[in-house]
Amino acid sequence: MKKRLAAIPKWVPAVLSALLWVGVLILLWEMGARKMDVTKRTPENVLPHLKNIWNALISTKKVAGGKTALGIVMSGAGMTLIRALYGFIAGSVLGFGLALMMKLSGVVERLIFPYLMLIQMIPILGLAPIVLSITGDINVSRIVIAGILTFYPVAANTLAGFNSVEREKYELMYTYAASKGTIYRKVLIPQAIPYFFTGLKIAAPMAITASILVDTLQGDGGLGCILSQSLKHAMSIYVFWIIVFFSAIIGILSSKLMGLLEILVLPNKRRRRARV
Amino acid sequence: MTAKIKRKKSLWKRLHENKKFVAAEAVFLPILLGVIIFLLWQFEGLHKILRTDTFVLPLPGRIGTIIVDNWSKIVVDIKATMIVAVLGLIIGCLAGYLIAVLASMFKTLMKSGISIVAAFNAIPIIALAPVISNWTKDVSTDANVRSMVAKTIVVAIVSMANMSINAYRGLTELKPFSEDLMRISAAGKLKVLYKLRIPNSVPYIFIALKVAVPSCVISALVSEYFAEYIVGVGRKIRENIVLAQYSTAWAYIAVACVLGIVMYALLMLVQKVCLGRRGSRTS
Amino acid sequence: MKKLLKRTIATAGVAALVATSMVGCGKAATSQGGSAAEGSTSTTMTSEEIIKQAAADGKVGNWGLGNEYEILALLTKYGLPTEYLSEDFTMDGFDDDSITLASAMTYNELGLVKNSYEGGYKYGDTVGVIDMNDEGVAMLEDMVFCTKDFAKKNPETVKAFLYASLKGWADACADPEKAAEICYEAGSSVSGDHQAYMAKEVKKLVETDMNGNKVSELGNMDEAAMTQTLELAKKYVKLDDSDAAAKLAGMTLDDIRDGSFLEAVKASDGKFNVEKKKVSIQLKWLPQAQFMGYYVAKANGYYDEVGLDVEIVSGGGDISETTAVNNGTVDFGVTWVTNLAVANAGGMDLLEVAQIYQRSGLLLVYKYDNFSK
Repeated sequence: MKKRLAAIPKWVPAVLSALLWVGVLILLWEMGARKMDVTKRTPENVLPHLKNIWNALISTKKVAGGKTALGIVMSGAGMTLIRALYGFIAGSVLGFGLALMMKLSGVVERLIFPYLMLIQMIPILGLAPIVLSITGDINVSRIVIAGILTFYPVAANTLAGFNSVEREKYELMYTYAASKGTIYRKVLIPQAIPYFFTGLKIAAPMAITASILVDTLQGDGGLGCILSQSLKHAMSIYVFWIIVFFSAIIGILSSKLMGLLEILVLPNKRRRRARV
Repeated sequence: MTAKIKRKKSLWKRLHENKKFVAAEAVFLPILLGVIIFLLWQFEGLHKILRTDTFVLPLPGRIGTIIVDNWSKIVVDIKATMIVAVLGLIIGCLAGYLIAVLASMFKTLMKSGISIVAAFNAIPIIALAPVISNWTKDVSTDANVRSMVAKTIVVAIVSMANMSINAYRGLTELKPFSEDLMRISAAGKLKVLYKLRIPNSVPYIFIALKVAVPSCVISALVSEYFAEYIVGVGRKIRENIVLAQYSTAWAYIAVACVLGIVMYALLMLVQKVCLGRRGSRTS
Repeated sequence: MKKLLKRTIATAGVAALVATSMVGCGKAATSQGGSAAEGSTSTTMTSEEIIKQAAADGKVGNWGLGNEYEILALLTKYGLPTEYLSEDFTMDGFDDDSITLASAMTYNELGLVKNSYEGGYKYGDTVGVIDMNDEGVAMLEDMVFCTKDFAKKNPETVKAFLYASLKGWADACADPEKAAEICYEAGSSVSGDHQAYMAKEVKKLVETDMNGNKVSELGNMDEAAMTQTLELAKKYVKLDDSDAAAKLAGMTLDDIRDGSFLEAVKASDGKFNVEKKKVSIQLKWLPQAQFMGYYVAKANGYYDEVGLDVEIVSGGGDISETTAVNNGTVDFGVTWVTNLAVANAGGMDLLEVAQIYQRSGLLLVYKYDNFSK
């Protein structure tokens, strides 16, 4: 039994199951859309047929500002994704740095960890005017807020990684009379890297959603702006649906990209996975 | 206690000789920092550092006055927000964990299910909230009830992805050979789940919760922006920000922070109870 | 093989579970379908009766966020509790009767409700309206403002901006169709038809006052209308911050407007020695014909003529126009008079320099079918 399955390449069942899930979702969506056709006067606002969303995507009709739906989404996506990237880089560097600092010094951990938590509790969008008045520039504010919204999963996961090091490993290093730096380089950081990547995998889609969220602060392009304009019926509602799908796909891809990066950075990880 | 012994010895020695001192320090240090920040804030030092004024960053005294003055109104908003946040968190985390368990048992089939859940999470809340609000229009004729349902679903979706990804890790990244050992002893899938996977996933659950708890409050706040029925701390924050009532907005922001902190403190307590026992068993 | 079977069964089970739950939702959706369209032949109700019935049902709608004060005033006028549902900036809630008495701007939502162009709900003449101007609770809306500090330091810039903007508004009102085209090019809208509708309706608000008389001068800050607006604001704006509430209660027109710039503009020959060349204006809402005057002024080069390089920033986000102007990220803003008064009560230092809309554009719209005896 096992042998026969092994003859099939490993990715085949994975792809098949992914397809199955997508199929189930499409089926459910279309069933819902069918219902809406009958029960709602404006079904496109509630649950439009996928076919219609696709048609809106490939349509050459000008939606706003002389651009097609696809054109307007793409130009918005460019702005949003670049801001998301900056915010993500800032957030993950900050997150890793904070985790390292907290591991290095118990005092720092005790001192700032509660405040890192506190920052997570602040509804940061409410603070947008304050961030704006401090930075003086709406785009810098957007990146700062996106960074703040993304750093925490990275910091929390990385710190968990540092703390996951078994006592035996420390003891081994002590027997070698390894310096602090060596212990960090050889044991702590390598051990924490998979956790760091877990953090990144969570943070990457968060950076994108955060970036879309902060787009809505002030209206000058960006997916969030277009999304909210479309939602307010200032342009075709299908633009909204396109963005919903686009952001979901981009979010998944960003997370997958982090997974890919992880495999590139940590080839052992692959081996370990294979063994388990 | 075990966690502390694990720490590197030289660092440990250099900083502290006395255990009680360390315990006191863990409470004392953040409070000291808090007091310093508070004083800087009240006496406008913070404003100089951030180059802002008391209008954008109102003084704590004023914020406190507003909270006290409007307490009876604020309680109503707190209730509405907390019900949504807690209910959404519970439903979302349970669903997320269930998905992770299924995925760990039927790997090839269910693993992509986790990606699907993650895809839901990748939809920005400002898109999700209005859609869910539209979908739940017919749940109840009472606008308050249907808004509540819509908001709870949004919070649940946000919590779910986080939990399922982390829990899946905990359920599958077992100690080397432990699964093989179970196999040798002819343990069935369910037994592996009970004896090995679920205990192994507990710390990961808390990792997930540490992100999910703050984010459930925040997503409850944001989903209120789009709700039909006007109530909640988030709605009040937005209203007051848009109307340039910064002091009042800050009062509600402070309330929101306290809600988050209280929930987080509860989580810590639960973690201590759960992991504390577990830790002593394994060592 | 057994394993494979097990897996298939498991997935099927999960799929079935999800499917049933979804279908469940769908069923709930159907049950409420067509209860609305009954008994269309009947005598009409009075405004008062309609408002009272809608309020009793808890189905009065407004967007909130500073747009609600006229509605609060109206509800109080009829002795009703000041509660309303939040409209989501579409008319879906009105369409599905979860809001039976919905707020609508004459130039925007009403057009969408009535008309049948893309994005419209095609109700035509089957809907009635309650006009705030008729009810005596009208408050002044779109106007131009900046900070007091900016006005003091850059008086020539303010004058130049007003001069060119009013010229743009005059052009826009003279040819709303052309203005609509300009706005459609520059902004975003469901359709050019909607912009054309909007431009025509906006023209009425700019050229007629609260009593329905023709306005002599564009941008004029009518003393009586301003006073009515401020008095209503004092009465119906409830601020949680006691300091701000006290400040609002003691506010006079002189705290929020300055007519001297407008006077200077009227006497001007169109030559200004501007202190700041590059200026920006943040709109109260999305780029559309509601703000056609500025778009026309820009398109026709009127800003260039007075030596200004103007950027028009879209509104509708969480950084409101009052915030953006106050912290200097933009120089001018378009907002409603009440919003400015409230912002000043909260601690901002803003100054109205010209009143573009001379009457309220806010209505309550209802379906005749829902309100018949």
